[in-house]
Formats: sequence, structure tokens, C-alpha cells
Amino acid sequence: MSTETIESAEGLFAATAEGPRLLGSICATCQTPYFPRSAGCHNPDCDHSNMEDASFGPSGTLWSVSIQNYPPPPPVVCDDPFQPFAVGMIDLPEGLRVLGRIVSDDPDSVEVGAAVELVLAPLGKDESGSEVISWQFRPV
Amino acid sequence: MRDVAILGQGLHPWGKFADIPVTQLCRTAVEAALADAGIKWRQIEAVAAASSRFSGGKGWGLNGNDIVEDMGSTGIPVYNMSAGCAAGANAFNVGHMLVASGQHDIVLVMGGEKMPKGFIQTSGLDDVTDPEFLRQRCVGLPGPGFWALLCRQRMAQYGTTEEDLAAIAVKAHKLGALNEFARFRQEFTMDQVLNSAMVNFPLRLYEICPVSDGAAAVVLCSPEIAKKMASKPVWVASSVVATASFDDGIPRHLACTIGKGNPHHSEARIAVGKAMKAAGIKPGDVDLIELQDNTVYYELAFPEEWGFIDPGTAEQWVAKGETMPTGKLPINPSGGFQSFGEATTAQALWQIVEVSSQLRGDAGARQVPNAKIGLAQSLGLGGNATATVLRV
Repeated sequence: MSTETIESAEGLFAATAEGPRLLGSICATCQTPYFPRSAGCHNPDCDHSNMEDASFGPSGTLWSVSIQNYPPPPPVVCDDPFQPFAVGMIDLPEGLRVLGRIVSDDPDSVEVGAAVELVLAPLGKDESGSEVISWQFRPV
Repeated sequence: MRDVAILGQGLHPWGKFADIPVTQLCRTAVEAALADAGIKWRQIEAVAAASSRFSGGKGWGLNGNDIVEDMGSTGIPVYNMSAGCAAGANAFNVGHMLVASGQHDIVLVMGGEKMPKGFIQTSGLDDVTDPEFLRQRCVGLPGPGFWALLCRQRMAQYGTTEEDLAAIAVKAHKLGALNEFARFRQEFTMDQVLNSAMVNFPLRLYEICPVSDGAAAVVLCSPEIAKKMASKPVWVASSVVATASFDDGIPRHLACTIGKGNPHHSEARIAVGKAMKAAGIKPGDVDLIELQDNTVYYELAFPEEWGFIDPGTAEQWVAKGETMPTGKLPINPSGGFQSFGEATTAQALWQIVEVSSQLRGDAGARQVPNAKIGLAQSLGLGGNATATVLRV
């Protein structure tokens, strides 16, 4: 029996020929990057919002990392039975600090400053049994 | 603009009160504040109240209207202020303006809250256009995990240890045990804190605040009334509301930009900076701070981010006892959120009541000796922050 696979949210990430990417925007006027996509520029010093689609990834650096040590309530999707998992704030060279779950068999060993790469991987199964895929980061 | 004084103040103790409606919690605080001020309810000329999304307010955050109906409708104006966990001091700011502007002479500021069980689900919306929902759905990061990420970054930057964090919880409960209004009135040892359940590494159960029920009320008045009626008037040196700046380096939703400066909690830094300037004071002039310690991490981060102490030194200040009431920089002599738990929209007003008690010299065993100037700071969802400076 095959399990249905769904995205954690539509339009936030994609598997491209070059690999997984986060889908966002960049303001052509002030070069501010945004994730997710933004319809307008939020930079108060920018006088002319001029948004273009942009994609980000795959390389990043862990600015910080923590462990989700207790089973979080919905709508968080995670393994059943619950296994503690790592969550990080990841600095991308494009100038974004992004949240993401960390793929690791040993979450306690993941260190601040680690080089990571973007992957598309399952978070767990949702209430209907579908496997939920999201962007995550894996130490390299 | 004219000076504004605190004429009276009152609290309902913090705790979990399943059988007491929020209106009753509020009434206890209001009656205490009126008695402290020496006035009757019908002398209140306006109400500024914190709006709650969790309790009362007819589901519309009309919590000030609940108070007026309960105490007795007199036709006065009511302002309901929504600012997440900063709402209590946001309401205080409006109450202050109503008196400072000369529009009213006696104004009640009010915040009361009953919280649902468990950690706060920040937005509660089940909507893919809501960034808070996306954060939970696509990543999985409840509130304590967010604080833990900031704390872990500090550990990497400054070498903060798990023992440094636990020491702050020990200190908080030492003071909370002395506060009759606190929910948790027992002391903890380092071992007890370090053996409490890990919630989000590096933060343990006894290092983050739970949610509570509680209510706080303050009566503000004109200088003429203060001089006539108040035996120990506490003056509002400044009351400031701020929001975050675009260059903030903490991703509140799914991402933020990395740029120059990248201040953390920019809303709090802006509010405190403006409040200090408006009051005409420097960090060295402040005798005590009540800051928003949802987790012990904030007692390290905030005094540094506001320029009170050098970056990376807060652990030493705590270890040397300098943040105790008898130290050089007393922080949260009340016992803080660690000892009270957070009754979200009432919390910022409770902080102001605590600072006022300290300046009156009414804080008993947790009194900061000879306190003349105090600062209260709050932080709320949506990039809201407040700072209030009181003086005697």
C-alpha cells in the first residue's frame, strides 16, 4: 500500500533540476530577499516596491539550533511514536535567516555554526495518514 | 502635557482559578486599586483596558466594557487596547495620555486574564496565509522552541552554560517565595532546576514561565489630585509604546533578512531607549528593572541589548548576586514571570504595580533599598513592546 505524499504548504519550495530550492521574492529596487514570496517590499527605506520571484538554497550555516524535546501539539507534524527532533535558524548566503527542521539521526550532536544543505524530506504523517514533505536542512 | 501620578494600585494574586470568572479577578484588582487611591468607582472618568483574546471581552476584546458593566455603568469612555502580551502597558500608555493631555483627571488602567491550559499557540489560526500557522505546520516550533533557539545562539556566542541558566531560575524563585501575589512561592535548588524536564534544549521546565490567571489595576491622576490625596505619590516619568524595526535579526515568521546591525528584540530596545530619553535618565540612574522573563534567557539578553551592561557579561552579574534586590542592578525583584506565570494581557500592568510598590517602599522582604527610579518593560506578539519609567 502506498502512502499519499503532500507538501507542508503549497508554493514554498520546489524540487528543481539543480536541486531543492526555497521559493521567495527579491525586491529589484533594494535587493531585499523574502521568504515566502511577498507581494510587496517591507523595507521602509525602499521607495519603490518591485518584486520578482527568486529561489534560495541549497547552502547555509546554522545560526542556532534547538531540540524539540516534547511532543508538540497540532498542526506540528512529527514522527509517531514521537522522537525528539532538531530545529534551526539557518543563515543563507542570499541574506536570509530561515527557520527549518534539521534532518539528523542524532539531533543532540548538531552544533551551531555547522554547514547545512537544503533537502525536501518528510516531517511525519498528518492526521489523515498522509506523509508531509517540507523543506529541511541536513548537516554536510 | 502635565505630570501624571499613580494614585492607587491593586492586584488579584496570580494562579489558576478554574472557578472564578475573569470579571471577578478584575473586580478584586479594581476594588483594591480604588481603596488604595481612596476614591469611589463613580469618580473614575475613563478606563483604558488590555484586550484579551483568551477570556472575557465578549469575544471581541472588550474587556474594559466588562469592568464598567460590572462596577456600574456611568457613561465614561472605554479604550480597549490590543497588543498581545504588551497590552497591559499599552493600556497604561493610553491612560497616561488621557491624564497628561488634561482630558481627564482620574483614569483607571486595567488588565485581567484567564489563560487556557498548555503553552500558548501563538496565533491559533488554522490558515495557510497566516505565518504563525505556517511556522508550526512546515517547521514545528512552539513558543519555548523559539526562545531556546535564541538562548542556544547566546551559548555559542558567549559560552553561557546550563548552570548559568539554572542560577537565574533559582534567583527568581528565591524572590517569588517572598511575594504574596506570586503563583509559585517555593524556592528551588540548582539540582531541582537542572533535573526538571528538558522542554527545548537548553531550556528546562523550571526555566520557562507557564500561563496563569491574574488581574492588575492602576488609578492614574493629575498632579493636583496627587498632591491633595496621595501620601506617597509615584510619578510616571515616561510611558512608551514601540514596534519592531525592519532590520531586526530574529525571524518572527519563517525568515528575516540578515543585514547591518541586526538588533534582537528591536521593539524592546526602541521602547526602553525612548523611555529612558523621555525620562532624562541613564542606565546608571535606574534602581530596579522589571523585565519580561518568559524564560531565564531574557534576564541575560535584555540588560545587554539595552546598554545597561556589556555584552556577554550578564552571567557574571547574576553569579555575583548583582541582579538581586541588594545588588548593583536589581532585576525582577517580584520573582518575575518565572514565579508568576504569564497572565498575558494583565502581565505588563502587574510589572508596573510591582515597580510602583518598590518605589513606595512597600515591597517587604524583597525591597530594593532606597529605590527612586524603576523601569518596567514588556514584549508582545506582533512586534509590540512597551517601556515605563516610574520615579518618586
